[in-house]
Amino acid sequence: MTGHDILGPVAALASWSMIMWIWMYATRLPAMQRTKIDAKNWIGGTGADLESALPAEVQWKAHNYNHLMEQPTVFYAVALALAIGGMGDGLNAQLAWAYVALRVVHSLVQATVNRVMLRFGVFVLASLALMALCLHAFMAFVIY
Amino acid sequence: MNSYALLAPGAVLALWTLIMLLWVAATRFPAVAKAGMDVSTVPPGGRGQDLEAVLPASVNWKSHNYTHLLEQPTLFYAIIIFLTLAGGVTQVTVGLAWGYTILRVIHSVYQATINKVAVRFMIFLASTVLLLALSVMAVIATLG
Repeated sequence: MTGHDILGPVAALASWSMIMWIWMYATRLPAMQRTKIDAKNWIGGTGADLESALPAEVQWKAHNYNHLMEQPTVFYAVALALAIGGMGDGLNAQLAWAYVALRVVHSLVQATVNRVMLRFGVFVLASLALMALCLHAFMAFVIY
Repeated sequence: MNSYALLAPGAVLALWTLIMLLWVAATRFPAVAKAGMDVSTVPPGGRGQDLEAVLPASVNWKSHNYTHLLEQPTLFYAIIIFLTLAGGVTQVTVGLAWGYTILRVIHSVYQATINKVAVRFMIFLASTVLLLALSVMAVIATLG
């Protein structure tokens, strides 16, 4: 289909989010077993309650999973809009791949070394790619 | 009616979200410097919400709103895409979608500046009523 190349990076980032979900639980569940939390009788808790109970590096995976549920939702909206408008090929697809690649790097940084300025630098680059996609969508659908 | 007409308010709201991100950065960095923090020595793993107790409330309001834009509007993007794909682009849905986007921009400016909760809530309520109407129309359009 013409104009639909951008759906590749959309699928890639959605899949990556699920990989981060697996990473989050693969580290969180063993870490919980090492605490006094009685998961079987736990009522009403949320992931945020684990902030003070689990080691920081374990929570970093969850921080990133949550982060992937924030700004990328704008990416999905804009990418789908561009695909529907038949404008998801060429430069827009490349920008979308750049966004996804940078978000994967951002995840790896946040889940491991988590140096704030490094993470922030990657986030800025990803945001610039998204900004370009947003401007293209704006020009295509609002100004046209 | 242009078959992409519902994507225009979506493109505007996506772009607006990144403008709010710029507003966050433009106010947060000077405030961090004024608070005497040295970003190069921040311990690994720090996040935006760690600044909640450190920075003046009016600085954090910008970031509260950026986060808010990554919550309910994700439903809005899904709904306008459903309506676009299911032939639900009418004067009514396009009008409602523009109304939603305009109210969300007003909500952002209000939360980032004056931020009286009762007023902010009324703006949020009004935008939610429009979204509710759109989501009912999306159910009708997709089932029909």
